[in-house]
Amino acid sequence: MIGTHVEEKLCRLFEKNGIEVYNINSNRFKTNTINIFFQDNLNNDSVALNALFPSVLRRGCKGLPTIKEINLYLEKLYGAVFDCGIVKKGERQIIHFYFEYISDKYTNDSQRNFEKAFEFLMNIIFRPELKDGSFIEQYVEQEKNNLKMIVEGRTNDKVQYSMERCYELMCKDEPFGLYEYGTVEQIDEITNDKLYDHYKKKIALLPAEIFITGEIDEKDVAFVKEKLSLVERSTSQKLNSSIILKCVKDVREYEDKMDVNQAKLCMGFRTHVQPADNDYYALMVFNGLLGGGMHSKLFQNVREKAGLAYYVYAGLEKFKGLMVIASGIDVNNKDTAQEIIMKQLEEIRSGNITEYEFEATLKSLKTGIMSLKDSQLYVVDFYLSQLINGTHDTMETLVEKINKVTVDDIIKVADKLQLDTVYFLTSKSHENSK
Amino acid sequence: MNFDTIEYKKYNELFYRYEHPSGLNCIVIPKKGYYKKYATFSTQYGSVDNEFIIPGENEPTKVPDGIAHFLEHKLFDQKDGSVMDKFAALGSKPNAFTSFNQTVYLFSCTDLFSENFKLLLNFVQNPYITDESVEREKKIIGQEINMYRDDPGWRVNFNLLKAIYKHHPVRYDIAGTIDSISEITKETLYQCYKTFYHPSNMMITVVGDVDHIKVFEQVENCIQTTEKAPEIKRIFPKESSDINKSYIEQNMPVSTPIFYMGFKDSNFDLEGAEILRYEIAIKLLLSMLMGKSSRLYEELYDKGLINSSFEMDFSLEKSYAYSMFGGESVNPEEVQDRITKEIKLLKKQGLDQETFNRLLNASKGRFLRQLNSLENISRSFINLYFKGVTMFDYLEVYDKMKFDYITDVFDSHFDIKHMALSVVKQK
Repeated sequence: MIGTHVEEKLCRLFEKNGIEVYNINSNRFKTNTINIFFQDNLNNDSVALNALFPSVLRRGCKGLPTIKEINLYLEKLYGAVFDCGIVKKGERQIIHFYFEYISDKYTNDSQRNFEKAFEFLMNIIFRPELKDGSFIEQYVEQEKNNLKMIVEGRTNDKVQYSMERCYELMCKDEPFGLYEYGTVEQIDEITNDKLYDHYKKKIALLPAEIFITGEIDEKDVAFVKEKLSLVERSTSQKLNSSIILKCVKDVREYEDKMDVNQAKLCMGFRTHVQPADNDYYALMVFNGLLGGGMHSKLFQNVREKAGLAYYVYAGLEKFKGLMVIASGIDVNNKDTAQEIIMKQLEEIRSGNITEYEFEATLKSLKTGIMSLKDSQLYVVDFYLSQLINGTHDTMETLVEKINKVTVDDIIKVADKLQLDTVYFLTSKSHENSK
Repeated sequence: MNFDTIEYKKYNELFYRYEHPSGLNCIVIPKKGYYKKYATFSTQYGSVDNEFIIPGENEPTKVPDGIAHFLEHKLFDQKDGSVMDKFAALGSKPNAFTSFNQTVYLFSCTDLFSENFKLLLNFVQNPYITDESVEREKKIIGQEINMYRDDPGWRVNFNLLKAIYKHHPVRYDIAGTIDSISEITKETLYQCYKTFYHPSNMMITVVGDVDHIKVFEQVENCIQTTEKAPEIKRIFPKESSDINKSYIEQNMPVSTPIFYMGFKDSNFDLEGAEILRYEIAIKLLLSMLMGKSSRLYEELYDKGLINSSFEMDFSLEKSYAYSMFGGESVNPEEVQDRITKEIKLLKKQGLDQETFNRLLNASKGRFLRQLNSLENISRSFINLYFKGVTMFDYLEVYDKMKFDYITDVFDSHFDIKHMALSVVKQK
């Protein structure tokens, strides 16, 4: 069976040209992964450009100038998986390049597949297919259209959209209120030259991290070092921290009408808790208690007792210190649902927490956190989030700290919480039926 | 205690199989070093099983659409409250899902495995349904149905099945409709439970770092029935090999039209490894024809007719089979037209053996990648168990796949007159 157990922990290997390289060793997966992140501040001028250029890079690079060629290469590498795109974490927009390939011990040849994988990513990121000193015009135009489809199509998934819309309305005067794929107008204004200049600047300037998971050896590390030393980079751009403390004066209410059968109610809160605060662990427990699973007050009262919703939960955006309570309800039940939801929050504030609720929340958080370890991608995401927040937890220390949270700590964070925005997505015919 | 050990040394994988006197099988797939433990208890009973002959009776019984899914919701209710609370007290995440052919109850945990496992075994065997709780559940499931009615991706998928099938119940939504579930009563639920939740119609999987012997002992102690039940006769309406209609459209607020198209396949009467061989063959053919390295994909993508949402799949079950492919497109009809032309051209030109070899290797690699995920392993074992094969049987099928076989399957499956198109777009 599998050989000796490997301790799976984050190791910082080295820094080269402003790129930090980390490794998480493990030998229990069939694949290895390479993740490369470039971090930028979320801001109006670059949001659409940052969203667009990875999709253009995905179209072709030196030696592999088309999607077809790229996929032939991946297929020959035992069906390796490659993708790239962006994610929003608080007020950062992060460009992510991902590669996953079958570990050498499960292939039938003596190739060093790590080198093939890493070289491929270097080519995709730093040596795009060019014409006359710019991107291929056709690729840029097609990917602009594809990006516009994403932006215009975001209302298709009402569950996701209503939650994002709530956050955006809540933070419409802050960077966090920007949609990470930009707007149709912004995308329309992008020209090939503008995009290429932006790409050249950002790829040289943005702070970057590489995470390699699975089994790699010293030769692989030396290979990475050598390749990164050839990359042209300049002084790193400074990254801002997300602004978390913001006082709410009046609760704002918004409503959208669409052609829907089910309404979505989303309530956005400011937590006033930063991820590096001691209070943060209590916030996690508070959120779990309120709406983090079947044991939670929201699930028990809104769904099980009142039968108002199929789904209802509370989710944290820890980077920005926000919480949203989301539910799918009948168009006529907004007031009832809102009342029951607010009552659950009040219950916690008055300390009405049963031992069962408290214990179930702690255990459920522990299960969730420890389960992350079974996915290479989740482990990487966990450690990237630690870097962004300037915290140094491992899964184990996080569980330890959560276990120390008391009911008083929970009441304290519950008291800090402020309702900021209520968003209701309802049906067009709703007015008439009232 | 008797059990089998089946080992795949080359891939560092193995599984243990135990058969309970009731006929119920329990399969343990050990994953050393994993933190999560993932257990399922499934019955071979899904949304398509809406007409059947109860063992011992002569007349067929017809039940409302959506009842298998409804029963799945209701099993969580126990005499002393919801079993969810008990799982939650242990910190685990219980869940359940109903598909066309199965109902699966599951939990995942990191601690206290045997306590969780006991809960799972017990609650699935002990229904407690009241008139009042049935009525309450109608409200919650009504919200679930409405949520899916608003989901264009879900609609386009189910509409395609409506276009492909004239009579087979795979054409109906798994959760049923607000009307159909209104007919469900405590009595019909118990009737379905008694018919389909006999251990001989069920199976258990446990994936993770567990002691398999202890698992088997728990199964031995907790499964109450020791006698095998007679076979349930499932009745499916006669379905010809023709499709119902070639085009179906629904108007919903979407910015870009969404489409799915697919071929009806009447070659579903297969056994054992033949099922896997056929499935892999069709999936390889789909990749050869319109996968990301194909000339057709390149052309469609370059013309802006498809984007990276384009995907494809093939389903093969005991009473039906179909392929399905689609995504977003400004012009679904033109995509269909181009695919049709490419199929005709390839039928004339013949398939390329080198492409076949490359994609076979890639497909095997992507299969190995699935073995990283406890959920994927479990899902695959459940789905294949009721067909008499296991997930690891794929390995041999990959190694023995022949180009000649692929070309035969290409000719039979990709028959243009069995193709349907489903589109969701704005009015």
